[in-house]
Amino acid sequence: MSPKSIALVDNPMDDMCPICKSTRYLNKGIKFLINPECYHRMCSTCVDRIFTAGPASCPVPLCGKTLRKRGFKPAFFADLGIEREVDIRKRVGQVFNRRQEEFETLLDYNDYLQDTEDLIFDLVNGMAKEKLQAEEKLKAYRAMNLQEIEDNKRAGLEEADYERRKETAEKEAARQRRLKLIREQEEGKMDVEKSRRDMLERLANTDEDPTAITRQAQKVILKKSSARRNLTDSSSDPNGGLPLDSSLSIRGLKKKVAPIAEEAYDPFGGINLTPTRYVLNDEYENEWLNGIKTDTRILAGGYSLPEYYARTMFEAFSGLGVFINDEVGPKAKPEVRIKKEVEIDDDVF
Amino acid sequence: MCNSRLETETLDAGGHCVLEMPSGTGKTVSLLSLIIAYQQYYPEHRKLIYCSRTMSEIEKALAELKALMRYREDQLGRTEEFRGLGLTSRKNLCLHPSVKREKSGAVVDARCRSLTAGFVKEKKERGEDVPVCIYHDNLDLLEPHNLIPNGVWTLDGIMRYGEEHKQCPYFTSRRMMSFCNVIIYSYHYLLDPKIAERVSKELSKDCIVVFDEAHNIDNVCIESLSTDITEDSLRKATRGAQNLENRISEMKDTDADKLKNEYAKLVEGLRGADEAREEDAFMSNPALPDDLLKEAVPGNIRRAEHFVAFLKRFVEYLKTRMKVRQVISETPPSFLAHLKEHTYIEKKPLRFCAERLTSLVRTLELTSIEDYQPLQEVATFATLVATYEKGFLLILEPYESDAAEVPNPVLHFTCLDAAIAIKPVFDRFSSVIITSGTISPLEMYPKMLGFTTVVQESYSMSLGRRSFLPIIVTRGSDQVPVSSGFQVRNEPSVVRNYGNLLTEFSKLTPDGMVVFFPSYLYMESIISMWQGMGILDEVWKYKLILVETPDAQETSLALETYRTACCNGRGAVLLCVARGKVSEGIDFDHQYGRTVLCIGVPFQYTESRILKARLEFLRETYRIRENDFLSFDAMRHAAQCLGRVLRGKDDYGIMVLADKRFLKKRTQLPKWINQAILDSEINLSTDMAVGSAKKFLRNMAQPFKQSDQEGVSTWSLKDLEKFKESQDEENIRALREAQMQGSEVQNGNGERGDEYDVEAEAEMMQLDH
Repeated sequence: MSPKSIALVDNPMDDMCPICKSTRYLNKGIKFLINPECYHRMCSTCVDRIFTAGPASCPVPLCGKTLRKRGFKPAFFADLGIEREVDIRKRVGQVFNRRQEEFETLLDYNDYLQDTEDLIFDLVNGMAKEKLQAEEKLKAYRAMNLQEIEDNKRAGLEEADYERRKETAEKEAARQRRLKLIREQEEGKMDVEKSRRDMLERLANTDEDPTAITRQAQKVILKKSSARRNLTDSSSDPNGGLPLDSSLSIRGLKKKVAPIAEEAYDPFGGINLTPTRYVLNDEYENEWLNGIKTDTRILAGGYSLPEYYARTMFEAFSGLGVFINDEVGPKAKPEVRIKKEVEIDDDVF
Repeated sequence: MCNSRLETETLDAGGHCVLEMPSGTGKTVSLLSLIIAYQQYYPEHRKLIYCSRTMSEIEKALAELKALMRYREDQLGRTEEFRGLGLTSRKNLCLHPSVKREKSGAVVDARCRSLTAGFVKEKKERGEDVPVCIYHDNLDLLEPHNLIPNGVWTLDGIMRYGEEHKQCPYFTSRRMMSFCNVIIYSYHYLLDPKIAERVSKELSKDCIVVFDEAHNIDNVCIESLSTDITEDSLRKATRGAQNLENRISEMKDTDADKLKNEYAKLVEGLRGADEAREEDAFMSNPALPDDLLKEAVPGNIRRAEHFVAFLKRFVEYLKTRMKVRQVISETPPSFLAHLKEHTYIEKKPLRFCAERLTSLVRTLELTSIEDYQPLQEVATFATLVATYEKGFLLILEPYESDAAEVPNPVLHFTCLDAAIAIKPVFDRFSSVIITSGTISPLEMYPKMLGFTTVVQESYSMSLGRRSFLPIIVTRGSDQVPVSSGFQVRNEPSVVRNYGNLLTEFSKLTPDGMVVFFPSYLYMESIISMWQGMGILDEVWKYKLILVETPDAQETSLALETYRTACCNGRGAVLLCVARGKVSEGIDFDHQYGRTVLCIGVPFQYTESRILKARLEFLRETYRIRENDFLSFDAMRHAAQCLGRVLRGKDDYGIMVLADKRFLKKRTQLPKWINQAILDSEINLSTDMAVGSAKKFLRNMAQPFKQSDQEGVSTWSLKDLEKFKESQDEENIRALREAQMQGSEVQNGNGERGDEYDVEAEAEMMQLDH
């Protein structure tokens, strides 16, 4: 049976090793470890003592499972029942890792989720028989869908990575904004300081009306500061507008697929122009063409023999395999168009 | 009076507005009378939702409404078909003989629910012997839209009516909400998503919403979405989950059909609310976004036992997180990433957590809801953390203070954005009016709450005489500046100067005097220093000294003593805290408060991590500078404190702001206070302040007849007509000028003049009614 969840209340037993009975009071640095084989808790000293010499059986009475030192780890949860469940989830999650996008409808996805959950439940709480069945199912599923599991795993990793990168980028941007703000504030202070000094100097060195000078200086300072404020407000607005929108963004909306890189424009709408009924060779034996290959007079004008081959072959085969009766409709049309284009080419030539 | 035009604009055009009206000058009644006149004039009778802050304010507003309706009846000579109701908690309205004796509100709620829930009634009908509430069940015998006759019902009145007719006042109010013209309740009923979902979702779209005393509304919004999770609450949550598990297995044996039914419903989609929401019948809930309703509950929490395991895992995870011994602050996405890594809990089921729990509790027919309160909190937390990426922050504080040795971890899940909670209100209702005595600077509120206003207006006060004296004291008699800044606040010279100020004013003030400190901590330290200096002994000669404490009962005792001392002529000084209970909502009218002394600028505790996070958020998102916000917040509290003494036109009082920093912050005070500060009274030392206060009091002691006020601060109908005439003339003059200009410039502009005409006419019509 699974270890029942006992840690309902904080009891002092939590701080005592059930094997050697030492407590945190006696040993301040006591650390508890568990082995995912049987989830029995013991302190690190006990683990060292019992398992350093090699695999041994679990010291807890009536357990008797053979454990290795390598398998011990500190528990993440205080409740070992949950710890065990999470370990099982991890195992199952590596296999049953389909994503919502793979399902036709939400209902299907939910049914799938529930099935998975049932399986996990059998593994966690089920009787020996149910457990066995679930294990079998897991194994079978893994064998059947190896490729897809791999794909989904990769996709999941990529997604997590993307999220992480996005967050760091955002943090960095926030930091930059903050720095900028501080810089601006400092500049503003310096500016005010400078204007004040100027004013004092003017007061000291000229004999204009002092009140006029002070008033003017005050005005300058005010104008500058307000201008700066406006500037910062407007300059930071595009930045500011963005978080305002996304502050209310609700998570869990359908994830946006990165747009597929746009391909070059294809005027033929994706029609395959490579010949299907013949193979174009680089060379054809033909005595009346042999001379041309070497004749500079002809080649200098840009005449290319392969082009000639291609055109001739195309003309020879064009129309073959076109059955008007079968191909009424769109498919027949491109065929015609291509021909026409070739013809036009011909005229030019 | 002139606010009428502004407001009708708001009501007609459908927009939001922010109004500042001096406290104690009949803000409530003028708003009520105007809106009710509007409401009754138009045939559609738009409902008024009037939200106030405390129970006593609700009661006051109801009393005003009642008086107003009586006046209307007198003037119109007929009784209008009108119903006005107030709503407050079950604790205040319960009539059930045993339930009403409970002390705690939560217990009353829970016990009431166990007597009145739908399944209890079903059981009763099936003939089982279950305890029910006769007051509640009597309601079912009445017509559902006519549980109570027309009229305005104060809370007391409805209690009495309920007692006479043996019907539950709480449910009467709640069920009649859709059938009455005015509802007055606390703004939690509209802002707190957990309550609003149940109480306010059926209010129609064209309601007029008024938030009174709304200077703190951003904090209310934030609090309503924030949760604190402690180790204790987690322990209770675990227990709750355990109980749920037991109940489920019990139910499986006895009544498996019910679980199956629930399961089938969940497969279909979350509640039937989807359709209703589409028809716009309900107000949206920030904790339950619309798109969530349209989706079915994720498959992995559809079955009850799966869901309980899910909850347990989440709670265990939180417990583990709480074991960390350093401060952590993280954003929801990083929390979720960590959660997923360790527990394989995805975001999506987490979002459904709160709804799923509610549904489960309903299915299991649990009666002792209060046991599941902590679990509910955790579930709400889960939903919020998975719903909002921005605007929230998780802060884990393992120790209560920096010096503490014993860990007492608290996980604060704080909302940083006040706009989230109030957004549904602005989205749903076309006219929202936010008003308070002290809501300066006005432009801050739309910025923080994320809405646009049609009207923003700060009204000043028209007074027959100068009935309050705001002064700023910056120095002691020895010319040493006084301030509560951190560097100087404990210097003996500053403390002595504050002490002298207190003694001097306690000598000259008749009856009551209120002193506000920035924080409890500072108050304690300064009082102990005063004790050492013998200042308290000096004050003692003239007045009793009473102190506010964080404990509500002690404070109310102190208040009672204070009032007695003020009434019998002994006089008293009440030392209290600017953010405490006294500063909000307790009036010191007439002899209860002749002087208010504000010692130091009441800044918030800036070392708080939550505040720091919020400041950062405000700066990043709304471009509000830290210092701007801090100073705004301090000044609104200072203004709130000052406003405590002046509660009417025949009242008078002295307002002393004692800190040199007030000099620069003066402009942030509400218009009506700022206007009354004379330039000669802004940079005073203690002795000068005493001089002008004495002069002021001597003036106030002169007989003041009602007739002096007439035509200035109170208007008769004749004055009003005169005013209207002058306004009309003004309008006509403006119109003529516009036309003159129009004809001078171009013929094409003449059309503009016509437009003006129409507008002016409309304005005049509005003035008429």
